[in-house]
Amino acid sequence: MRPLEGTRVLDFTWVVAGPVTTRILADLGADVIKVERRGSLDFGDRRGGLSGTLMRGKRSIVLNLNDPRGLDVARRLAAVSDVVIDNFSARVMTNLGLDYETLIALRPDIVCVRMTGFGLTGPDRDHVSYGPTLQALTGYTLLMAEPDGPPAGFGYSYSDLAGGNLGALAVLAALWHRRRTGRGQLVDLAQLEAVACLVGPTLVARALDGAASAPAGNASQEAPGAPHGVYPCAGEDRWIAITVFTDEEWRAFARVTGIADDARRGSAAALDRLVADWTRQRVAEDAASLLQRAGVAAGVVANAEDLCARDPQLAARGYFVDVPTPEGRSVRIDGPPFVLSETPARVSGPGPLLGEHTDGVLATLLGMSVDEIAALRADHVVG
Amino acid sequence: MTGALQGIRVLDLADEKGALAGKLLAGLGADVVLVEPPGGSRLRSIPPFWQGTADAERSIFFWFYAAGKRSVTLDVATRAGAARLRRLVASADVLIETEPPGRLDELGVGADALREVNPRLVVASITPFGQRGPYRSWRASDTVAQAMGGMLYVNGHADGPPLRTLGLQAYHQAGIFAAIGIVSALLARDVTGRGQDVDVSLQASVASALEHVPGFWHQAGLVGHRQGTMHWTRYFRVGRCRDGWVMHCTLGDWTSLIEWMKADGMGAAVDDPALEDIKTRQAQAERIFDALDAWAARYTVAELTEGAQLRRIPYAAVRAPEALLRDPHFAERGFFVPIEHPGLGITVPYPGAPFRLGDAPWRVARPPRLGEHDSELA
Repeated sequence: MRPLEGTRVLDFTWVVAGPVTTRILADLGADVIKVERRGSLDFGDRRGGLSGTLMRGKRSIVLNLNDPRGLDVARRLAAVSDVVIDNFSARVMTNLGLDYETLIALRPDIVCVRMTGFGLTGPDRDHVSYGPTLQALTGYTLLMAEPDGPPAGFGYSYSDLAGGNLGALAVLAALWHRRRTGRGQLVDLAQLEAVACLVGPTLVARALDGAASAPAGNASQEAPGAPHGVYPCAGEDRWIAITVFTDEEWRAFARVTGIADDARRGSAAALDRLVADWTRQRVAEDAASLLQRAGVAAGVVANAEDLCARDPQLAARGYFVDVPTPEGRSVRIDGPPFVLSETPARVSGPGPLLGEHTDGVLATLLGMSVDEIAALRADHVVG
Repeated sequence: MTGALQGIRVLDLADEKGALAGKLLAGLGADVVLVEPPGGSRLRSIPPFWQGTADAERSIFFWFYAAGKRSVTLDVATRAGAARLRRLVASADVLIETEPPGRLDELGVGADALREVNPRLVVASITPFGQRGPYRSWRASDTVAQAMGGMLYVNGHADGPPLRTLGLQAYHQAGIFAAIGIVSALLARDVTGRGQDVDVSLQASVASALEHVPGFWHQAGLVGHRQGTMHWTRYFRVGRCRDGWVMHCTLGDWTSLIEWMKADGMGAAVDDPALEDIKTRQAQAERIFDALDAWAARYTVAELTEGAQLRRIPYAAVRAPEALLRDPHFAERGFFVPIEHPGLGITVPYPGAPFRLGDAPWRVARPPRLGEHDSELA
């Protein structure tokens, strides 16, 4: 048994943020039906890799929503779904005729999740956005920098993942609410607000002190740490992250590294140089093990290979899973990062091929005959 | 209207690693009771402090994470404290903790012992690496967890060190996944009648907040590298306007962008039919962004981003987080919620809902004073 068994999600999401939400729902046992169109954007192999990780365990149907018959199929599917979700700009679902008012007429207790960039209200509601523009607007880009330095990132769309993960919480909360009250609802998830929440205490501090935020490199943003940062190790582009918060941790660190006990009282820059002198002579993994055995927080700055092929902890946790495909291949996919002891979430299957489940979904959920489906396919209404 | 989790009680023993989980549940309407040691939660000692004065009631760090929670004090390492915790568990639905694996078992208040008191209890544990595996007793800060989860390596200049970003994003992702696990466990409890354990790893949570890194490795053995502000898709890069930084984007309405540049007498370098294909734009990203930079230097950030949005081109200002406090869009949506701090005589704007449930409003309330609710929850 999984927590969302028996829950059906009609999934109009695309690119990254929305698919991140619905992959978690699929891991939790929901039947996620991804509505796609021919020629939609994807990232290569749909079974595994980046696309497969985003679409793991979902079913794919192809519908032409610009044809009234395609729209009718979408509405009939909504009527037998618990959740309808999209991450288009605010006006797209309304223009398509799949707005919340239409959906509740079809299914009075529907949970309708609109995952837009800016939200359904407000002066910027029709602005267009992607993850990189949202993390620019919320401070993440400007402050990923050395002190006084220019922006140095992001290299990817953290905002899509953050907004997507929060989207799954929104759906779960709405399903819990429905179970208690019998009522569905409209969920307005502005990804801009989702990532703004994750800025954390800095927003409150700035509201009170009126100061200008300045980049601080890898300095601690929690308890003061010294040393605290990322240091070069032996080899090409190898790094270790080290954090020393307490006096006890400092004594252990000084003992392992041989750095003089009073070095911590000098400048952070001088201490960082001493730490780098020590780390540069060591293999990152060895230095991390040595420090951890002494009770100091330290770890390799993992690249893709470290993370996916060399990390014994993620491997022991079964974080990456090998999933069989209908073609007889096996693809490796990320799994959920949380473990439920009694009703675990798990990867339900590989990513679907485009339209792989069109016939099955239309036949079993809508009772359509082979001939009806063939007629729609001949007219390019379904694929 | 009431919050979605109205009627759910959460005992929150988490330190900063897991503090966001309880905050999210409080926002959803749960009664979240912070269980603090008699000297106060660790979070109360973390800066910044209101007016710079270090004090248990003045940590802005604590305020943010404890907003909307209640506070009781007990020392779980003492017999009396453990006994009180067991009494609190009897009327609770969820317990969140961040102790090293096995520590609460040693104190006699591990998940199994607590479920003898209350079989319906959901116990969420947020630890650096999870409850099992070779690193289960390794330590991590937010930065170490970001490093080992793969977030740092791909951020920073190509010739510089890996760099972190604003906020404790390893802790935040773990908090989100803990909240997801908790609500999932509550849904399951409706069917099974029993609580269960939710094991959240900071490292794995960070790995679940990556984009291209694991997928490209699994797909093609590719290792993503740092490339400054150039996004891995090569459709975004930071540029410079007259008065600040801007995020360029070469997705969106390319024709309108070129027409605009040509009207400014600047389009020659990119007025090339081959660039109408997005794959070609991806391949020639450096050349395109260099041309866009030369053009953007004529404009202010506001002129450029407003002009772009009118043309459906997803440009944005690269700005400091405090810009949100003055953003008319946030003001109209009422994102910041003014909360009175009676003890200090100030009203503080708190960030509000990360998402809005139309039938179950998000709840924001002030953080508790140390032990404020001791007498209510004896």
